Amino acid sequence: MIIHLDMDAFYASVEEREHPELVGLPVVVGGPSKTRGVVAAANYEARKFGVVSAMPMMQASRLCPELQILPVNMPLYVSVSKQIHEIFNRYTPEIEPLSLDEAFLDVSGSIKLFGSAEEIARRIKQEIKDELRLVVSAGIAPNKFVAKIASDFDKPDGFVVVEEDAMQDFLDPLPVKRIWGVGKKTELQLNNYGITTIKDLRNQSVRWLIDRFGKQGDHIYRLAHGLDKREVISDAKAKSISAENTFIENISDKEILIAYLSLLTEQVAARLREKNRKGKTVTVKVRFHDFTTIVRSKTLAESTNQTQQIWLLVKSLFTAAVASNASGRPVVRLLGVGVSGFNNDTTYQGDLFSEGSKHDELDGVADEINQRFGKLKIHRGRNTK
Amino acid sequence: MKISISRDAILTPLQMANNVIERRQTLPILSNVLMSVKDNTLSLTGTDLEVEIINHCAIENNEDGETTLPARKLLDICKALPEGSNIEILIDQERAVLKSGRSRFTLSTLSATEFPSIDALISPFEFNVPQKTFKKLIDQTQFCMAQQDVRYYLNGLMLELSNNQMIAVATDGHRLAFCQAEIDLNPGETRQVIVPRKAVNEISRLLEESDESVKVSLSENHIRISFSEVIFTSKLIDGKFPDYQQVIPQKCDNEVKSSRDNLYQSFHRTSVLSNEKYRGMRLQLSENQLQATVHNPEQDEAEEVIEVNYSGDEFEIGFNVAYLLDALSAIKSEEVVMQLTDSNHSCLLFGTDDVNSKYVVMPMRL
Repeated sequence: MIIHLDMDAFYASVEEREHPELVGLPVVVGGPSKTRGVVAAANYEARKFGVVSAMPMMQASRLCPELQILPVNMPLYVSVSKQIHEIFNRYTPEIEPLSLDEAFLDVSGSIKLFGSAEEIARRIKQEIKDELRLVVSAGIAPNKFVAKIASDFDKPDGFVVVEEDAMQDFLDPLPVKRIWGVGKKTELQLNNYGITTIKDLRNQSVRWLIDRFGKQGDHIYRLAHGLDKREVISDAKAKSISAENTFIENISDKEILIAYLSLLTEQVAARLREKNRKGKTVTVKVRFHDFTTIVRSKTLAESTNQTQQIWLLVKSLFTAAVASNASGRPVVRLLGVGVSGFNNDTTYQGDLFSEGSKHDELDGVADEINQRFGKLKIHRGRNTK
Repeated sequence: MKISISRDAILTPLQMANNVIERRQTLPILSNVLMSVKDNTLSLTGTDLEVEIINHCAIENNEDGETTLPARKLLDICKALPEGSNIEILIDQERAVLKSGRSRFTLSTLSATEFPSIDALISPFEFNVPQKTFKKLIDQTQFCMAQQDVRYYLNGLMLELSNNQMIAVATDGHRLAFCQAEIDLNPGETRQVIVPRKAVNEISRLLEESDESVKVSLSENHIRISFSEVIFTSKLIDGKFPDYQQVIPQKCDNEVKSSRDNLYQSFHRTSVLSNEKYRGMRLQLSENQLQATVHNPEQDEAEEVIEVNYSGDEFEIGFNVAYLLDALSAIKSEEVVMQLTDSNHSCLLFGTDDVNSKYVVMPMRL
């Protein structure tokens, strides 16, 4: 069984926990001010006003004049995310993190030890609540696809179990857009054929879908039948470590994009260091508003997990990716940063001149502080250079 | 044009020209050796456009002129001829005929006017240095030069000239070698040049362990070293060498003193089992004892306990054992000093009899 765990309004909840005076108020993380920047995350109170992530701060403060704006404190979220993972780790090493606040757990091997998947998920949820004072929504299902839908089904504070034999009944009434890979475009096309729910989709033959949607048709067909064979890939097994962010609203402000990239880079680098991994290849993924996706990679001579080294490559790759977008003014929907090409040993030869050793020390110190105290705001200044 | 020379006299100059000439050439003329005869002197020139070597040898019974011949073939022919034999080369249009005893070879030539030569150096700074001093400076340091590093300025040897002092520094970024010597010199201001790796290797081969001096000329872009019969010229690397002084540790709290031989032998033995790629060796320091351990992916293990003179902190540090062995081989003193700070900082090595040569090695995290 697979458990999908998704923290509720993660950044905002962590901030609420750190600032108890904010509880009950509409809170967003982002900024830098009421008039500039975008919302990186909103708590449920703010969402009542219609405030969502990636919304320009201007608009958000207009919708909700009482809005409490806090700066993004990524290192804090990274350190809390680590604590969450430590809790996951008590039950299984098979953890596939999707981002700081979301992960798949394959507990098939842990059931003998800890009882059913449901029992494990319940314990994790309780431990996160008791130890970290945060709320996670859990979805428990035979595969990743259904588990992910399940965790979102009853959010916030959700807990949904979908057993093998209940899977089809669970999926059938859902709108087609809940299927991975069905975006706005495909949804519209399907609706035009009169297909709105997963049940409608299931009533079509695979041939019919392939004829109209090509390879994707087969994919949609299988998911609609609750068939998803993808395994949970833990970091230990992973051939790459990456993080990506899909914006609810497209972003064209380059400075904001760069800031998001910087945060993604820090996440990836911190995870590499946590796993004692070093990679040679850095990849940047940019998906534009029209869904064209550009993936650019570059390989270093020596593998690294230094934030600074990865960041330099990420920046140049991003610039190249944006330059290849014909419109000149990129409207971006998704950003991703990944590092692959791991070498398996952790040997590191110090360097006399490169800033390398200094950066390692810096990374080490920052990681340690963030791990130990969580609250300290050790992170880079806005990485726009 | 006609050349008459003994096989043995032409062999060494030809060998030197071939050392400079690159095996694979895009320009055919660059695989040839320039041979010119004037005033009873035969000059042989080999070049790769970066480095040029000219050899002069006296000959008799000749006819002035110049041409170029395939260098490798000419060398191989001369090598294969019996010792002590005489060679006669006759140039006729585009053919060269080489005769020796009852052997006869016809070689194609290329026009000497096509041959690229490095021009005279413009307003060079010149000084003389005893060969053995220059040789020592190079030999004590050159093994630390980088190879094909993207930091192109590390792919060579830095020579620094200041009043009465010549310093050589080489580094690949992981370790550094420093050697200084007093020589009679007055450059006014301090001068720094970076001599490319290939040139350094050639210069080191040309220099002899003698008190005789060579003339060194430095221009903006070139270094030229003039021996009595050989003129060696190389382009310089145009770049800024890193501030070496900053990375030579000044003050170290933990000092190991040991017999150089003991240390070398022990490290050498453990190195047999080191990881071929990373060559990591772990050193544990404690009171008058140094323990060296090495592991490899095959789970083999080597351990050496070395008696040393040490009263500093107890700690552990990792190194690329090859770097330490290189430094220890370069150090000639019987007793060697290793100065350390902690497991994250570089180590300074030098021999107690020769503080003019110093080695810095960065540790390795294992």
